[in-house]
Amino acid sequence: MSLGRKNFLAAGAAGAVLGLIGPPSIVLGAPEPIRIGLIPPITGANALLGQQEQDGVKLAVDEINARPDKVFAGRPFEIVTEDATNDNQSAVAALNKILGENIEALLAPVLSTQVQAMAPVMKTHLIPWLTGGTAVKNTQLGVDGLFRLRASDAITAAAMTAFAVQDQHAKRPAILHASDAFGTGGADQIVANLKKFSIDPVANEQFPKDTKDFTAEILKCKSANCDALLLYIQNPSDTAVILQQIRSLGLSVPIVGSPSLGNQTALEIAKASADGCYVGLDFIVGANSPVATRFVRNFSQQFGHAPDVGSGSGWIYDGVYLLAAAYAKQKSTDPKTTLATLRATKDYAGVLGTFTCDGEGNMIHQISIGKIENSKVTLVKKVSA
Amino acid sequence: MHFDSIANLQLLINGFAIGSIYALVALGFVLIYNAVGVVNFAQGDFVMLPSYVAISFLAPSVAVFGVQMHWQLPPLAVYLLVIVLMTGFALLFNRIAYYPLRDRGWMPVVISTIGVSIFLRNFAQLTWGSQPLSFPSPFTADTIDFGGLHVRPQDLLIIAVTATLIMFQYVLFEKTSLGKQMQATAQDRTTARLLGIRVGRIVAFTFVYSVLLGTISGLLVAPVFTVTKEMGGLIALKAFAASIVGGFGNIPGAIIGGLTIGVVETFGGFYISSAYTDAIAFVILIAVLLVRPQGLFGERVAEKA
Repeated sequence: MSLGRKNFLAAGAAGAVLGLIGPPSIVLGAPEPIRIGLIPPITGANALLGQQEQDGVKLAVDEINARPDKVFAGRPFEIVTEDATNDNQSAVAALNKILGENIEALLAPVLSTQVQAMAPVMKTHLIPWLTGGTAVKNTQLGVDGLFRLRASDAITAAAMTAFAVQDQHAKRPAILHASDAFGTGGADQIVANLKKFSIDPVANEQFPKDTKDFTAEILKCKSANCDALLLYIQNPSDTAVILQQIRSLGLSVPIVGSPSLGNQTALEIAKASADGCYVGLDFIVGANSPVATRFVRNFSQQFGHAPDVGSGSGWIYDGVYLLAAAYAKQKSTDPKTTLATLRATKDYAGVLGTFTCDGEGNMIHQISIGKIENSKVTLVKKVSA
Repeated sequence: MHFDSIANLQLLINGFAIGSIYALVALGFVLIYNAVGVVNFAQGDFVMLPSYVAISFLAPSVAVFGVQMHWQLPPLAVYLLVIVLMTGFALLFNRIAYYPLRDRGWMPVVISTIGVSIFLRNFAQLTWGSQPLSFPSPFTADTIDFGGLHVRPQDLLIIAVTATLIMFQYVLFEKTSLGKQMQATAQDRTTARLLGIRVGRIVAFTFVYSVLLGTISGLLVAPVFTVTKEMGGLIALKAFAASIVGGFGNIPGAIIGGLTIGVVETFGGFYISSAYTDAIAFVILIAVLLVRPQGLFGERVAEKA
C-alpha cells in the first residue's frame, strides 16, 4: 500500500496533535499524581539506609495508592527520587535538582549532616520537609516547615544515659561515637546528661568516617577502666564491626547503643557479639502499637525480610502516611496549608509511636530501651521525654 | 594516660596487622607504577571485588542480582576459584583499561583506572546490593587470650601471610628469570624489549600479580571488616600514602611504609586522639615529604639543567 502525499501529511498532523495532547489517560482526565521528593543515599557508604528508606516509601505508597479512601481526590502518590550519596555536596545538589521537579513535599535525608548542609537551600522554599535525622540541631536551624519524625538525640541520649547510670549502675562510663554530626551531637547530649548525675565520662572517643579498625578507640576506653560503654553511631555496619572488635579486645562491660545497634543488619553481622547489649530504639517489633505490627507484617510480606527498627524504613513510612492524612484532612496539597496541618498534629498513631508536633517540629517524644539476645531485641522499658 | 605494657603490645599487634594490609595494597600500587608508570586508582577495589566474589560462594545464603544463592563451597576451593577468577579479571583490566591507552601518556590511563574504580563499586552495589555482608571467619575462636592480651587469630594470619608474600616476592624478583624480566621491564621497557623480553606479557603478569595482592588483602580483611563496596577505599588511600612514605616505586619502601603507617596511626589514635587516626597517616606523609621528598627508601632524582 502506498501512502500518498495528502495522507502522509494528514497522518503527520494527527500524530503531532496526539503528541501535543499526550496519551489517552490524560485525555480522559486521569488525576494528576501528588509528587513527593525523596533524597536517600542510594550509593556510597550509607546505601543500606537509602535502600531501607526506599523500601519504607514504596510500601507506604503502594498501600495508599491501592486504597481510594486514602488517596486525596483520587490523586496517587508519585515519588521523585534523587541520590544524596554519602556526602553533603551531593545531597545539596540532589536537593537543588529535585526542587525543580514540582514536588509538594520532601522526604529529606536521614543523615543529620546532610540535613544541616541542605538547610540554607531549604530556607528558601516553603514546603514540608520531613526528616528522620535525629541530631538536636536539625530542628533548630530556622528551616520553616522541617518536621522530625523520630525521637531526637536529646531524648535517645537522655534515655540511654539514665539507663546506663540508674539501671546498669555505671559510675565510670565511656563514650564511643562517630565523628559526624549525628555521632558528635549524640555524644554531646550524653555528656550533658551524665553531668545531671555528676558524672564525667572516663573516655570520650570518636572515629572518622570509613574507619574499620577501632583498636585505638576501644583500648582507650578499656585502659580508662570504664564500667559501661555508650555507643552513638549512625552506620549499622560500623556498629557491628565495633561490637565484634570490642569483644575480641576483651572489653566486657555493659554496652548501651544508639538505634543503629538494634538495626537488623547490625544484628546479623555482629551475631553473638551483640548479645547482652542494650539499645535505645524508635520501636521494637512485637512491643508496639497495632500500626507498627501491621507495618512489620506488610513489610515482611512485600520484601521478604523484617524491616529495620526505626532508622531506615519506619519513620519514612510514617512520613508518607502523615502527608496523605494531611492532604485528606485539608482537601488540598497546598504546601502552606500542609505545614499548618502538620504543625497541628496531635496523638497521630504511627509506626514509631504517637506523633504530636511541638514548637520545633519534633513529632516523636518517646523511645524504647531494648535488650539484644540471639539477634533479637526485646523491650526493657519505654521512656518518654 | 598511663603506659600499659599489655595495651602497648596489643596496639603493636593490631597496628602490624592493619599495616600489613596497607603494605600489600601499597605493593600493588608500586608494582603497576613500576611496570607502566601510572598510579592505579582502582587498587582499593581489587580488595573489595574478590571479597564479594568469595562470600557469594562461601556464605550459606547470599543474594546475587536479587537471587538467593546457597553454594557454601569448601573455603579452600573458594579461595582457589577466586584467585582464578581474579586472574582473569586482571588480564581483562590490563586489556581494557591499560593496553589501548598505553601510548597516550599517563593521564588517560589514570583516568581509565578511576573509571574502573567507579564501575566496580556500582557493579558491586547492583550485584550484591547495599547490605554489608558478614564474611565467615576461617577460625572457630574469636581470640586467643594470654596474660591479658587478646589476639585475633585473623590478625596473626594477616601478619603471617604478608611475611610469606614478602619472602615469596624477594625470591621471585631476585632468584627467578621472570622476576628479573619484571625488574628489567620496570627499569627500561625499551631496553628490555631489545633484550628480547616480551614486555607486553610481563606487564600483563604484573597486573595479575598486583590484582592478586589486592585479592589476598581482601580475603584477609573481609572477616574482620565485613564486606562492603567501600571497604577498599580508605585502605587504598592509606596504602597510597604508605607507598609515597616508602619512596614511590620502591618495593621495600612500600612494605616499610605500610607497616609504619599501620603501627603509628594505631599508637597515635591511642596516645594522641582517636579523632586524628586518619590524619596521622597523612601527617607522616607530609613530614616525610618535607624531610626526604624521595621517600624513606626512594632514590634522589635530579634533573639536568
